[in-house]
Amino acid sequence: MPFAARAAGASAAKNACVPLIVTRDLRKVFRNAKRFPGALGALRGLFSPVYEDRVAVAGLSMEIERGEFIGYIGPNGAGKSTTIKMLTGILVPSAGEVEVAGIVPHRKRRENARNIGVVFGQRTQLYWDLPLVDSFELLRAIYGIPQDRYRRSLDAFIELLEMGDFLRTPVRQLSLGQRMRGDFAAAMLHEPPILYLDEPTIGLDVVAKEAIRTFVARVNREQGTTIILTTHDLADVERLCRRIVLIDHGRAIFDGPIERIKNEYGRERTLVVRFTETTSAPTIPGARLESVEGMTARFVFDRATQRVDRLVREVSDRYSVEDIAIEEPELEGIIRHIYTQGYAGEERSA
Amino acid sequence: MLAAYVQYWKINLLTIAEYRADFFMWFAFTIVYHGTALAALAVTMLRFPSMNGWSLREMFFLYALWMTAHELHNALFFNVVSVPEYIREGRFDRFFVRPFDTLFQVLTVPSRTFPDGFILGLVTLAIATHVAGIHVTPFTVLTIAAVLCGGAGIDLGISLFVAALSFWLIRVDTLRWIVMSLEQDFTRYPISIYTRGVRIVLAYVLPFAFMNYFPATYFLGKHDAAFGLSPEVGLLTPLIGLLWTALSYAFWNLGLRHYQGTGS
Repeated sequence: MPFAARAAGASAAKNACVPLIVTRDLRKVFRNAKRFPGALGALRGLFSPVYEDRVAVAGLSMEIERGEFIGYIGPNGAGKSTTIKMLTGILVPSAGEVEVAGIVPHRKRRENARNIGVVFGQRTQLYWDLPLVDSFELLRAIYGIPQDRYRRSLDAFIELLEMGDFLRTPVRQLSLGQRMRGDFAAAMLHEPPILYLDEPTIGLDVVAKEAIRTFVARVNREQGTTIILTTHDLADVERLCRRIVLIDHGRAIFDGPIERIKNEYGRERTLVVRFTETTSAPTIPGARLESVEGMTARFVFDRATQRVDRLVREVSDRYSVEDIAIEEPELEGIIRHIYTQGYAGEERSA
Repeated sequence: MLAAYVQYWKINLLTIAEYRADFFMWFAFTIVYHGTALAALAVTMLRFPSMNGWSLREMFFLYALWMTAHELHNALFFNVVSVPEYIREGRFDRFFVRPFDTLFQVLTVPSRTFPDGFILGLVTLAIATHVAGIHVTPFTVLTIAAVLCGGAGIDLGISLFVAALSFWLIRVDTLRWIVMSLEQDFTRYPISIYTRGVRIVLAYVLPFAFMNYFPATYFLGKHDAAFGLSPEVGLLTPLIGLLWTALSYAFWNLGLRHYQGTGS
């Protein structure tokens, strides 16, 4: 295994300008037998099946450089998992090209497997009846990790992910948080240069989430591991990723740094004013009143056309003010807006 | 790959040590299972002194040959039956992201497998060989070993074929059940007692007859009353096992390309 890792590293160094992961017009169409209602329908389906095509990924082109931490986000059914499965070599694309570290994953599945680690939040890779440490031992044998290196990384993982207490517990008895930590260690034992995380924090409590975020941030920073994260928890993305790829209906509708999507959509700011007395229907020229709740009012204004100092002056001139705060829009709000309204910017600006 | 295989057996042993009661129950079940089949055979034979020219002693050997090959298959390849379940539940994905052949990985999912049934089979076969009065030379031992491997290969080939079908058809339980009962019911008696259609199926379509009937005619020096073939046909078993396994493996690889996951 260290040999393969070095080989992958060497080939990447040779083509320093070639991105680590490239997809070009990648497509995946699922073909499923259509079901007809009722017993007669089932019979009809059996003898003259009608197939329905469902386009999961509809022409995806992207490039990912070594060491990047990508947030790959989109609503349910947008094609995120299907993309990951094509990148990992699980699924064969219907059309288009895909290359990961110079390898076409579904053609050279086993070579590709040496370069990648995968964590599926909804499905454990660990063996249900075995203690964690036995699963790790088996993985050591599978990847042929030398004993000393295995010891070293395992010790590091035990410490970083605080796994010492449940190392000998059968996986089925672990809590979700413990199991996920085990899954992370299992995916990273062979020190892959690429890590795919598919909804890794789903269903976790805040403590476990934080432990895992800290862990992946560190892996990305210290080992330079390229990480592709799909998640519905945008706090994960905001905290960890520099770049996001937003996918909807199998197409990338935004690809760029988080700051850009915030700038494009986040022109609106909220001015939160707390009055000293109940004030009904307060107004400030240049800002729109969003809500009033007790003594607190929220005004929305456009950062590009209105100056904050003027607004603050106006409000304190007119009313008796106890406190003022300005809120920036959160990524979550922006993404929600895009899911419901569509993306207005230019498509896939690279 | 060898290291992973050794590790797999090591874990199995540890797991068995941990679940001893479960292991002994399975072992008891294996004894009862084969014991019942042999007892039924003996009862039948009390009423007919011979069946199509086969005595009880010879039929004991016939059964022992099948049992040992089948238990060898169970010890090494049993997990193939779990494939449809893995696919249906989406657990098959993991085999694609590890640097080994998918089939090898299926066969090495840690379980409570132990070659106890195979060891029982070997003991039974040794007794049956003695009882049937077969003159044993080193050559006999070698040919019996080859026939056992071939028989396990036939079992593997057929179960792998059914498992590979599940890449297209999500449910193959019925088919698997049919094949399994065919094997269990039609390997107990010499196939010459069945109608021509059944004989053809057992010899040429699902060649269970090569697991025991044809090799038994060779070792016992009997005439094949089913097709009138020469007893040496029984020595083709290793070849047929290899062929079935190879063809099913090719079919399996075709299925891998077609794999759609759970479709999500």
